[in-house]
Amino acid sequence: MPLKSSHDGGWNPYVAGALSGVVSILSVWVAGRFLGASTTFVRTAGLIESLFAPERVAQMELFRLEIPQIDWQWMFVVGILLGSLLSSLSDGSFRWQAVPDMWAEKFGSNKLTRGLTAFSGGVIAMFGARLAGG
Amino acid sequence: MSDLLYGVITGILFGFLLQKGRVLRYDKQLGALRLKDMTIVKFMLSSIMVGMVGVYFLSDLGLVKLSIRGINLGANILGGLTFGIGWALLGYCPGTSLGAVGEGRWDGLWGIAGMLVGAAIYAEAFPVMQSTVLTWGNLGRITLPQLLGLNHWLVIILFIGGSLALFRFFEKQGW
Repeated sequence: MPLKSSHDGGWNPYVAGALSGVVSILSVWVAGRFLGASTTFVRTAGLIESLFAPERVAQMELFRLEIPQIDWQWMFVVGILLGSLLSSLSDGSFRWQAVPDMWAEKFGSNKLTRGLTAFSGGVIAMFGARLAGG
Repeated sequence: MSDLLYGVITGILFGFLLQKGRVLRYDKQLGALRLKDMTIVKFMLSSIMVGMVGVYFLSDLGLVKLSIRGINLGANILGGLTFGIGWALLGYCPGTSLGAVGEGRWDGLWGIAGMLVGAAIYAEAFPVMQSTVLTWGNLGRITLPQLLGLNHWLVIILFIGGSLALFRFFEKQGW
């Protein structure tokens, strides 16, 4: 199996995926931490709300279970951004882009249309993710 | 402190591999939903296969403790369907939205803002959810092997077999 996939300079997704599985094993073994991301959005929303209404946040049931603070997963999520930045700069695939190619083909290159749809999708996706427990 | 350091190091490694696998992009995520490009499914299933073997092996040796999420059919199904709608609109999931910004696809920032709002709305709705959806079909913290009454290695082998068959199918289809 070739490490490089031919067209876009990326790695073979089976190889990159399997290596990410090794990272997840090491994380559980060394740090006792399972990979996840969505709880971080709850904690961060709580941190932001605490700036305006700390008493109210302290009384909310969900923020008592998922305390608004910077924890392992919060740092993991920030790390994903840094790792992606390093990787994309190292192979020249970094591209400052507001509208994805596939979106532009179907819906045009208006940044605001894409932005509002992405924002709405984010609201719905996170509500669902938290409800499902993921 | 070392806990936070482990977090950022693990994130950097994971984000690096997500980017090299080219799975962070909107076009790849929508490509999978449209059955045109299964790159992200290849990446995810490969990661899960390796991860499940390693974690269960370490668990059998008593070196790690599994973290079992409760099954809650009402919440899992309704939440999953809701997530799917939002994911298809956004084109990034919670973790990959940060990764997308890392490789310059800054429409991910809109998604991150939306997801913070979605989390805040969920926090408001949580007491209502606790008395309704979260009580529907609550099966507690059980695993698939426990549910099926099978040894976990048999379930792992079946999962790997199924995934490899799926990979073969994807490659035949040119997905």
